[in-house]
Amino acid sequence: MSEDRGERRPRPRGGRRPRRKVCNFCVDKIEYIDYKDINRLRRFTNERGKILPRRMSGNCAKHQRQLSEAIKRARAIALMPYTVE
Amino acid sequence: MNRYEMFYIIDTGLEETARKELIEKVSALIVNNGGEIEKVDETWGKRRLAYAIDYKTEGWYVLVNFKAPAELPREIERNLQINENVLRYLVVKLEEKRSAVKPRAVRPAPAEEAAPAEEAAPAVEAAPAAEAAPAETAE
Repeated sequence: MSEDRGERRPRPRGGRRPRRKVCNFCVDKIEYIDYKDINRLRRFTNERGKILPRRMSGNCAKHQRQLSEAIKRARAIALMPYTVE
Repeated sequence: MNRYEMFYIIDTGLEETARKELIEKVSALIVNNGGEIEKVDETWGKRRLAYAIDYKTEGWYVLVNFKAPAELPREIERNLQINENVLRYLVVKLEEKRSAVKPRAVRPAPAEEAAPAEEAAPAVEAAPAAEAAPAETAE
């Protein structure tokens, strides 16, 4: 039993590792996330208009902070919805 | 003088002449209070709002870039708030350069960790010393 578990640990079942996530904004070398760039921002919200968490978007902490700020600004000025029913 | 970006939405019910007038009025407000307009951008124009504001589904978006002293945005916001043809506004300060950010002071967290360890060590040393000292005086 315990030996079985030991063998399985190095490679998870199926053998496919989750792909390493890379921050989208770091890749594009974006220093300032513009709240007017709705098409870009929209990719980081789900269909209900909620901001995706970092574990799903794969963004680095710095850019996730900027992103959430930008999305909130876009919402305030009615460029993006607060909620989608 | 700081650089700002203002984005506001005008009621589409307003005729074009009245709208032009309103945009002029807002621009004049900036200039008359020591501001400096860099750009007035109306290319956003008529746009569907992401959600209804006062039961309106459309708005006329105007983007203004300007330089102004720090007190001015407050005054502008006050005026836009009074104007009922302005549905929404947003004034954002544009940061100049990343290098303007001050280097962070040394974090206190590691210092706190180190401090108890240092305190603990002298205390251990001090205790035998204190014992030794009276012993010496007694002799």
